[in-house]
Amino acid sequence: MTTMLRQMTTRGTPYLFLLPGLVILGALLSVPLYKVVEYSLYDNVIVERNPTFVGLANYTNLMTDPGYWSAGFNTVVFTVGSVLGHMIVGIGLALLVNADIAPRARTFFRSMLILPWIFTAVVVALNWQLLLNPFGLINYMLQWMGLTSEPLDWLGDPDLAMWSLLLISTWRGYPFIMVSFLSGLQTVPRELYEAAEIDGAGFWHKFWHVTLPQLKPVIFGVALLDLIWTFQLFPLVWLSTGGGPGRATEVLSTLTFRLAFVDFQFSQAATVAVSILIISAAFTLLYLRNEARRL
Amino acid sequence: MIKTRFTALALAAATALTPLAAQAAEIEWLQWFAAENTDGFYDELVADFEAKHPDITVKLVTQPFGKVRESIVTDNAIGVGSDVLGLNMPWTKEFLDIGILEPLDEYLARDDNSFATSDLVEAPLGKIDGHTWMVPLNAFPFVMHVNMGLVRQAGFDAPPATWEELAEQAGAISALEDGISGIGMPFSSQPPSNGPILTFLPLLYAHGGRIMADTTPNFDNPEVVATLQFLKDMNDAGAIAPGAASRTGGVDLEEFIAGRTGFMISPGVHSSSITSRNPELEYTLVRVPTNGETAYRVHGWEIGIAADSPNKDAAWTFVNYLLSPEVNARAAKAANALPGNLAALDAVREGADETLLKQMEILSGDTPVEEMRQSPKAAASWSVMTEEIQAMLRGDQSPEEAAAAVQARWLDLAG
Amino acid sequence: MSRIEIRNLVKMYGAHQALHGIDISIQPGEFCVLVGPSGCGKSTTLRMVAGLETISGGEIAIGERVVNGLRPKERGIAMVFQNYALYPAKTVYNNMAFSLQLSRMPKPEIDRRVREVADILELTPLLERKPGALSGGQRQRVAMGRAIVRDPEVFLFDEPLSNLDAKLRGQMRAEIKRLHQRLQNTIIYVTHDQVEAMTLADRIVIMRDGKIEQQGTPDAIFHDPDTVFVAGFMGSPPMNLVDCMVTPTGLKLGDSEIACATPDGLRAGARVICGIRPDDIRPAADQPGRATATVPVDLIEQLGTEKLVHFRAGQHSMIGKTGGRVDLAEGAPHPLAFDMAHAYFFDPDTERRIR
Repeated sequence: MTTMLRQMTTRGTPYLFLLPGLVILGALLSVPLYKVVEYSLYDNVIVERNPTFVGLANYTNLMTDPGYWSAGFNTVVFTVGSVLGHMIVGIGLALLVNADIAPRARTFFRSMLILPWIFTAVVVALNWQLLLNPFGLINYMLQWMGLTSEPLDWLGDPDLAMWSLLLISTWRGYPFIMVSFLSGLQTVPRELYEAAEIDGAGFWHKFWHVTLPQLKPVIFGVALLDLIWTFQLFPLVWLSTGGGPGRATEVLSTLTFRLAFVDFQFSQAATVAVSILIISAAFTLLYLRNEARRL
Repeated sequence: MIKTRFTALALAAATALTPLAAQAAEIEWLQWFAAENTDGFYDELVADFEAKHPDITVKLVTQPFGKVRESIVTDNAIGVGSDVLGLNMPWTKEFLDIGILEPLDEYLARDDNSFATSDLVEAPLGKIDGHTWMVPLNAFPFVMHVNMGLVRQAGFDAPPATWEELAEQAGAISALEDGISGIGMPFSSQPPSNGPILTFLPLLYAHGGRIMADTTPNFDNPEVVATLQFLKDMNDAGAIAPGAASRTGGVDLEEFIAGRTGFMISPGVHSSSITSRNPELEYTLVRVPTNGETAYRVHGWEIGIAADSPNKDAAWTFVNYLLSPEVNARAAKAANALPGNLAALDAVREGADETLLKQMEILSGDTPVEEMRQSPKAAASWSVMTEEIQAMLRGDQSPEEAAAAVQARWLDLAG
Repeated sequence: MSRIEIRNLVKMYGAHQALHGIDISIQPGEFCVLVGPSGCGKSTTLRMVAGLETISGGEIAIGERVVNGLRPKERGIAMVFQNYALYPAKTVYNNMAFSLQLSRMPKPEIDRRVREVADILELTPLLERKPGALSGGQRQRVAMGRAIVRDPEVFLFDEPLSNLDAKLRGQMRAEIKRLHQRLQNTIIYVTHDQVEAMTLADRIVIMRDGKIEQQGTPDAIFHDPDTVFVAGFMGSPPMNLVDCMVTPTGLKLGDSEIACATPDGLRAGARVICGIRPDDIRPAADQPGRATATVPVDLIEQLGTEKLVHFRAGQHSMIGKTGGRVDLAEGAPHPLAFDMAHAYFFDPDTERRIR
């Protein structure tokens, strides 16, 4: 009996030490989570002194709101486009900065290419607004090269705004992917490339048959992580276009914000937030399963 | 046993803390004013106040204008709101509905105030739901900033006074060279997405139009359509800077300061940043071009007290300080605006520059208009205006359709 | 089947010279083993033949072509790597077929070749597996199969057996030998294991510090070493190499004197390094009539068919051999016979053989 008790205490000790952290973490996660779900079940909160419980009415509202579906569609376009952009640019640049050149030059390029990552969204948005302005550098270059005759309003034209946003998002997000791939590339055994070279493989064959299969687990994990992040990305979109022009670049996160802080419909905003949560959670589970399989 | 000891401890702690709390109150002042001032005026102001009121410390919390509204709402919701709030008249009704603001009637009625309520600029004091909610730190009309260099280059000797002249001159300036535009219209969706209230409403008021009938939306009227048509015509003629749908208020101001736009309609306060940032600019400001009406959109920096503040008396002491004629005059001058306390007018006029004198002239003779403060969903309603005007300038809808669309969506919002 | 000529080959890494003018001439169909301690330049030489390292000086010719400027795939070589370097995401079949696919060989021909080689190497049941599901020996065979399907002029092996356990290594060694007999390709094989070198090679090239120490047939290398290094490197247990003094009648080794013939050039009193293999030191009783010395035996290693006898002679530890059934006591002096007819003499300064 006493041995059992002693065993329990020795086994329990580590958990005891973890307890404060777990409690804080649990509270930080569960309280807001609970609150958001609770909010979504009332007619309105914060601006309403006596909220009325309305059950799932906010959810049925959402399902019949074309604005929600269009924001959902934009979110998918933005997320998939951004992740693809990050992957392609990230892998390409990772290959370039992994090249066998003078170490000092390599360090220089690596640090330069990480720069977009360290700027805050405000700075990124502002810079790109200036670049994409009708009188900005990009229009100037395009006209100089004779690709357009009239300056284009990249962020103000509903047909172009999403593409511009994807460009900004790609620029902003590729460094993380590049760094992940770079570390992945460095784990590819040199001998595999040598074997491929002797087998007669050129650059693309080596990339396709050696690099890519070796990076596959990294690619899958990083892409999922990126998907989860981008899916709920808010500041960059809000600060670059504000969801506009019209609602051309409105995504679920900006819709949530608009409902909450422009319209003060906090319960409806909470409802959208819950829908984001459910989708993100699904991706997160997928990611965790992938990670677990890798271990 | 443990319980009693704990109670004793709590009591001891409480008694130790109470006198401290009574002695020194710390109040927070959330505003955007200091963000638009470059010479540290507000730090000096706070230091001066603290020197005169050693028992109160003021913490200056400065945010850009576009963020202040959200901050006030979120801080209030989680109970960490500031005590003294910088306010914008259009927010009034929204904030009342959330219960953020403290009614000021009782404070204004106090005998020991440093100012007379009757001296204050009237617009922000108007009662909503039976109470007064804010007081004016300063006031300024919406004006049109003019790059005289470009006006002359385009072959005119005087800034435009009428819509017709505006359209003609703006068109001529746009035609000068690549990268130069007649007038900027900041209709970006990017927050605060308030371009229409900066540029469209002043033009509408100068045309004798309104957008509200008391507290009901009234957007689809002939004056609104005429004003929209005027914007559309100027845009079609290339007089408006390209990219209006992505132009933010900030970019609009920067472009004007850089000398790339002929005209900019915005609050009069901007004149101080323009002249300090680009002294080379041949700059002046004029009344927003009219069609005979002399109504102008009035604007100002308002002050309120948070309903949840634990230090309302200290907060009022600070507000009272800001409104005293002497301090108010200094604050007005620092912002290149007119004082909220009109008793300070003479002090401000003394040594004021030409741009400020022109604003005074507008204020003294013309009719002030402020409609947004009655709107229950001001921010949402100007977002709607932005979106529909974007669509109109793009050619997706006519001015009539834009007006009807805004009206319908406003009614929906109010519904 | 091609001849390989390596002429005055030099490799520089910055200011460091890794290879100092290597000359090797390999006949068509010859099995040439480069052997030496790590860092001797053997792998670098092989990789330069493969085209994986640039050539700083000299030239390499495969067949009649100088290949200095050619890319690896243009040299008509195939290589087996130490870690096999199999493509982890490809099946055994595709690992072997990859180079043929890249050369756009028709599919049926690829299939025929891969299956034929798989058959030779007993890989047929494994063709659909990925390398991760194979044992070390199987991976080794796949790596060889990948080289063989290309039917190259030259095979290059870079320490192919060093990742296998001892037993498997023995099997694979025999397999490689058999394969060479069957295919008759020219082979350059790098190893640090002198047993592999002895058993596989037609020609052994012993390298040290970026230079060739000696090259020749295994017999010549083993029985006729040119230098102290070669003598000590080949053979296990290694040749006993001891400092001696030449006496009028033989050699003085510490306190013991051994009567023997010495090369003509050596005068009494000169110092010399004498090398004698453990096989040539036997208990006196086994080999009557030989020069004998009674020495203290301090350790016996039983190997089964024979025993290694560790003893001291002066300051030197030496090893002799005896049959597995001979009974010897550790710690007791024992008379040993030295077969001085098979002793080697080296100059202690130049370390070169005195003949």
